Amino acid sequence: METKTAAGRVLLDCRGISKSYTGPQVLDEVDFSVDRGEIHALVGENGAGKSTLIKIVTGVTDRDSGELEFDGTAIPRSHSKKAAQELGIAVIYQELSLIPGMTVAQNIYLTKEPRFRALRLIDLRRMNDDAQALIDRYGFPLKAADLIDRLSIAQRQTVEILKALSDRASLMIMDEPTSSLTSAEATRLFDIIRKLKAEGISVLYISHRMEEVFDLSDRVTVLRDGRKVATLEKVKIDPAEIIRLMIGRDLGESDRGRRMTRKAGEVVLDVRSLSSPGLFRDISFELHRGEILGFGGLVGSGRTELVRAIYGIDAYDSGSIRYLGKDYRPSVRASIAGGIGFVPEERRLQGILAPISVTRNIGVANLDVLTKAGMVSGRRELQFARRGIALMNVKPDLPDMPVGSLSGGNQQKVVLGKWLIRDLRLLIIDEPTVGIDIGAKEEIYAHIEHLAAQGVAVILVSSDLPELTRLADRIIVLRKGRIVKEFDEGVVSEEDVLLASSGIVEGARR
Amino acid sequence: MNLAKLKAALRLPAVLVALMAVLTIVSPRFLAIGNLSNVLWSVCVIGILASGAIYAPITGGIDLSIGSIAALTGIFVDLLMNRAGVNWLLAIAATIALGAFIGLFNGLITTKFKVNAFIVTMAAKTYLYGIAMVISQGGMKSILKPAQFLAIGGGRSFGLPNPIYIMLALIVLSHILLTRSSFGRRAIAVGANEVAARLSGVDPDRTRMAAYTVSGATAAVGGIVLASLTQQSFAGAASGIELDVLTALVVGGTSLMGGSGSVVGAFIGAVMVAFIGNGLNLLNVPAPYHPTATGIVILLALIFNMGIAPRKRGAAGGKHLRRTS
Repeated sequence: METKTAAGRVLLDCRGISKSYTGPQVLDEVDFSVDRGEIHALVGENGAGKSTLIKIVTGVTDRDSGELEFDGTAIPRSHSKKAAQELGIAVIYQELSLIPGMTVAQNIYLTKEPRFRALRLIDLRRMNDDAQALIDRYGFPLKAADLIDRLSIAQRQTVEILKALSDRASLMIMDEPTSSLTSAEATRLFDIIRKLKAEGISVLYISHRMEEVFDLSDRVTVLRDGRKVATLEKVKIDPAEIIRLMIGRDLGESDRGRRMTRKAGEVVLDVRSLSSPGLFRDISFELHRGEILGFGGLVGSGRTELVRAIYGIDAYDSGSIRYLGKDYRPSVRASIAGGIGFVPEERRLQGILAPISVTRNIGVANLDVLTKAGMVSGRRELQFARRGIALMNVKPDLPDMPVGSLSGGNQQKVVLGKWLIRDLRLLIIDEPTVGIDIGAKEEIYAHIEHLAAQGVAVILVSSDLPELTRLADRIIVLRKGRIVKEFDEGVVSEEDVLLASSGIVEGARR
Repeated sequence: MNLAKLKAALRLPAVLVALMAVLTIVSPRFLAIGNLSNVLWSVCVIGILASGAIYAPITGGIDLSIGSIAALTGIFVDLLMNRAGVNWLLAIAATIALGAFIGLFNGLITTKFKVNAFIVTMAAKTYLYGIAMVISQGGMKSILKPAQFLAIGGGRSFGLPNPIYIMLALIVLSHILLTRSSFGRRAIAVGANEVAARLSGVDPDRTRMAAYTVSGATAAVGGIVLASLTQQSFAGAASGIELDVLTALVVGGTSLMGGSGSVVGAFIGAVMVAFIGNGLNLLNVPAPYHPTATGIVILLALIFNMGIAPRKRGAAGGKHLRRTS
């Protein structure tokens, strides 16, 4: 199975890796290898198993079965993060693993500081000198004494790489490393990656950005539904081919696409030339009664920022919004009062009040209706909660239960339910089904479709392509903060959306 | 109310009853009405302060300035009545307004400048003490009139000292405010997950400011009661009381991480701590041993209480997105 490239022998070798958490197989007999000094891209849709594979390699998760070998050493089924690190496997995080108040040198040598023999005190000068020597060897524009706080995200990433280098890592894993970088910063990162390759270090590169993958990689491995679909050599890499492999169908076979239809009804939301520097630019669209408008695009394309601005969480710079025929200056309160509901991405961080009961979670969003003279009617609040629970089929149907102890799907039902018991005109939902089980997913889809049938306008932001093409009546694709494509007629398939998101389709360029 | 919830709600009262039973066994004098009313009387200022101070930790903050506010307002009310000749009722109203204003200022600094509440109120504790020193000229002043004012803290009604009624009234009011008012709901929501609360239409800054305002106002009430009760005012009158209040809150199940708390629990917490001291007195334990014994008992109560205070929360992730706490 393994193809040895000219660069040398196999560094990381995975054979028949399988993993399931509860129920479905997340990884199914995956064979995969990275050669020494190779840049290897790992691609696949959300949920294809990329992160799980990385977690297994780095010792975060145990595999169920399969062989794992690194640099000729067999890795036991259950190994630790530390063991992986000692073998020379490093993960480059974006920024979270650095300590902000410390210097570059202190971060690089954290827990392995050079020490004086006497008293084992830290030898600060040697630490700084060593760090600076490392920095200079790679020609990074950094000073060993710089504080992390003062660095840009791109510079922090460089520190992460330095840290891995100081650990003598021979494999660096980068998960979506360019998602919050500017294009100039990304270009610099690619130079660094090539430099690492020249030193014989392997890079396992995960990205949704196809052009990067093609520019950079020696080989590309495509995962789909937990299985390895193919590993392609550089010469054979073709963007459209990879997207077909990721989605799993041929171009001709577009019967699973969805026919887009422009709704004719009353305009609920009219957005004109909305811009926010660095986030999105010149966004214009209309949304009609009963219409589900999908927003496609890659993570970081500005979709979330756009809908947050429309709901009134963040300010925008220029442009205008008309809502229900009137000029609208969004604020969260005005939005709620005006019949707009908002289901944010990252349910645990932004959606639920975990330690608080279902009743209170539903109550908080409905305080305007439940409060009289500053007092909340507990009886009516409970009625609201019961309505929400019954409507959304929340299980278990206990109003007193802290939301945090419900399953992910039921948590999301509570977040959605608190809006659905209101008189809604517009519902904005951002990645509504991430990490929830298939049953709850279907129920949530049914609710969204039912709402639209009742005349509620829906904005759906989703990176889940089957979800987007299944639910949306129209799809707008954002790329780097701009609308690059609008699908409002004809049959649209997942790959059409993905191609536009990745900037590959000719017509998508503007 | 389901069984688990009932069990959790009864846990703290059960500890209190157990403690009382032990004290009754070791000292028959413990259950005498006179003794119990003495204990209640001794915690009334702590109880009054706790009734309002609870909102800061519930929103995920803390108010360390309440002791200084109490001392300052005690001096202020005396100056108004006995120096400026203001009617005692008006003086009290103005003093509570001053306390509320100081609290609002604390809240304003924490929210608008995004400074940690611990630091803001720690600073306030110090400069308010300084202001109290200046306006009292560093001295202790006796308050000998008016009689109506002195009756607030010194008088009795139906056989019990007046401050007990004031404390109980504030505890009940605050309990209603926390559990039934929309302000209470917002405060809990902000403490539980500020981001999610904001997306649900709660204004976290306004909620926090309101929390510190309430805290300042009840600290002023405490200051008035204390001045009336002791018939004196000085800058150090309530020094360190904020820690007693925090102890009562925490023993009573209020989470310093925000999102949960109980006013009734805080009251029980204050009473329990006082019972411990009282029990030690009744047992003729020499005074030097009291702080050690009290500290150990508080620690035990907290450990036993873990069932009430939220365990390490799954929602802790939400804290990363918080701007102040």
